[in-house]
Amino acid sequence: MKKIGIIGIGNPLRKDDGVGIILLKRLQQRKKEFPKNLEFIDGGTGGMNVLHLLARFKMVLIVDAVDFHGQPGEARSFTLKDIQSKKAQVQLSTHESDFLNVLRLSKKLKELPQTLVIFGVQPRDISHGMGLSKEIELVLDDLCIKLQKEIQTLVK
Amino acid sequence: MVERSVVSMSKDFSLHVEHVTRVEGHGNIQVNVKNGEIEKVEWRVVEAPRFFEAMLRGQNYNELRPITSRICGICSIGHSLASLKATEDALGVHITEQTAILRRLAINAENMQSHILHIGYLAAPDLFGVGSVFPLIGTKHTDVVLTIVKLHRLANEMSDLICGRTIHPIRLVVGGFSMVPTEKQLLHLRQRLEEARAITRTVAEVLHGVADKLPNFTRETEYIALSIDDEYALYQGDINSTDTGKHPEYKNYQSIMNEYVVQQSTAKYAKHARDSYMVGALARFNLNSKELHPAAKEVAAMFGLKPINTNPFMNTIAQLVEFAHNIEDSLHWIDVLLENGMKDEKPVKVKPKAGHGVGIVEVPRGILVHDYTLNSKGYCTKANCVIPTNQNHANIQKDMEKLVPEILDKPEKEIELTLEMLVRAYDPCISCSTHYLDVTFV
Repeated sequence: MKKIGIIGIGNPLRKDDGVGIILLKRLQQRKKEFPKNLEFIDGGTGGMNVLHLLARFKMVLIVDAVDFHGQPGEARSFTLKDIQSKKAQVQLSTHESDFLNVLRLSKKLKELPQTLVIFGVQPRDISHGMGLSKEIELVLDDLCIKLQKEIQTLVK
Repeated sequence: MVERSVVSMSKDFSLHVEHVTRVEGHGNIQVNVKNGEIEKVEWRVVEAPRFFEAMLRGQNYNELRPITSRICGICSIGHSLASLKATEDALGVHITEQTAILRRLAINAENMQSHILHIGYLAAPDLFGVGSVFPLIGTKHTDVVLTIVKLHRLANEMSDLICGRTIHPIRLVVGGFSMVPTEKQLLHLRQRLEEARAITRTVAEVLHGVADKLPNFTRETEYIALSIDDEYALYQGDINSTDTGKHPEYKNYQSIMNEYVVQQSTAKYAKHARDSYMVGALARFNLNSKELHPAAKEVAAMFGLKPINTNPFMNTIAQLVEFAHNIEDSLHWIDVLLENGMKDEKPVKVKPKAGHGVGIVEVPRGILVHDYTLNSKGYCTKANCVIPTNQNHANIQKDMEKLVPEILDKPEKEIELTLEMLVRAYDPCISCSTHYLDVTFV
């Protein structure tokens, strides 16, 4: 069993909502630079499959589009506590309620990873269509570097 | 998007459900009542057709399976098997006994995966009076939800092991398997299936406690499924009907599945001996219940399910019966494989040639047909797929026409819920069924 799961979530057919999947693919291309106990997974649009995925890891980093009222392309990391707190005003784009319910269910099943971090990227446009907004396209390299740092912190 | 409106006046009301939730795809219900008289009852399928048959034309025989798998994310194994059977029939390929057994395990895995998802996540919330499975977490029903999650996971993992992936299998290829499981892996699966036996019984008991919420509605209709002696037919058999008996001429399936177009639906309807017929778990149960494993028969007896049962709401219970059967059947076939010893077989070699082949299997929602014509180089020149939900649309419509007058005195909310429950009972896979449409532009 690999200990750390990097799970990209999102729908590339809803423009910026697909940023999680696009970042995941970029990281996957540089797989060799990361420790071997890392597994990269395209979690699609989430749902119950994420529940089964969570059960496999002690640490999970979820990469997803998150509306935290920031600037498009801005990235922030959240813990489970942050997203459950109403003060944080966090919206997990198109799959919010679904995702929180899945986390709750995972907790009930005693399968929630010990560490769960959500790397959220502020989307600008999640309407139907393909391709990212310019603001996000421009910072993809920076986002990858930030993600790498996040992974390094997890691995330590 | 879900939009509902129920407008009521003394004797007039119109009910419009757009779209029915907790089903795969988009379908609407329309009921208009004026002065207490029913003006309109319609089951409407509103999705765009997907033209899969046209996509198959010009493709090499090896590509037909991976393409048709994508017709459905739930029945990707079933579509793969129907596709392989049709391709192998056209090319005159004979598979080995080990391949036939592994394919039976694959079909069991999919049936279990799909049925437990429908029973637990889609149908059960109605019986518990909640909108989805999530509100049940933290109530006295928490354990049953957790059990359902575990059973679903087992079925997923079984698909992973046999087919290489939970959905859209990669190991199922023309002539056999590109990779087969090891004996050690099969032994581990065997152990997991044995554990699942007991917890399936728990799910049955909990559902039995709320089964009185299933509407007591009946309508006689024709039931169609595959049947074969000494086996509960899923992978092979002859087309069988409760009205007209067995039809061994499998290539003549179109004489049974008469598809036609109706105005309110982008999916075709189908009929045979009557105005409509039903396919799926209840149809299979009604035709083949004597071939069920005793453990599955026990589940049926618990719910008083006997053939021929004409209550469509009991389809969900028939699925639970099949789930219990699939576990036992899988255990049996794993034992046969272990007894024979797993051979690291390569797929049978195939020589492209011209031919016509038909593959028929039972998938979770009913009987599925793929029909291909190949040219001398093995490229597809013509294709037809007959999807189970397509065959059920007319039956849903006819059920609604009988059901609405029987419940007209109930509050509108209850009428709405009962009609939604009826659609859900069929576990329709609407996106799959909107595969083909003749459009005439005037």
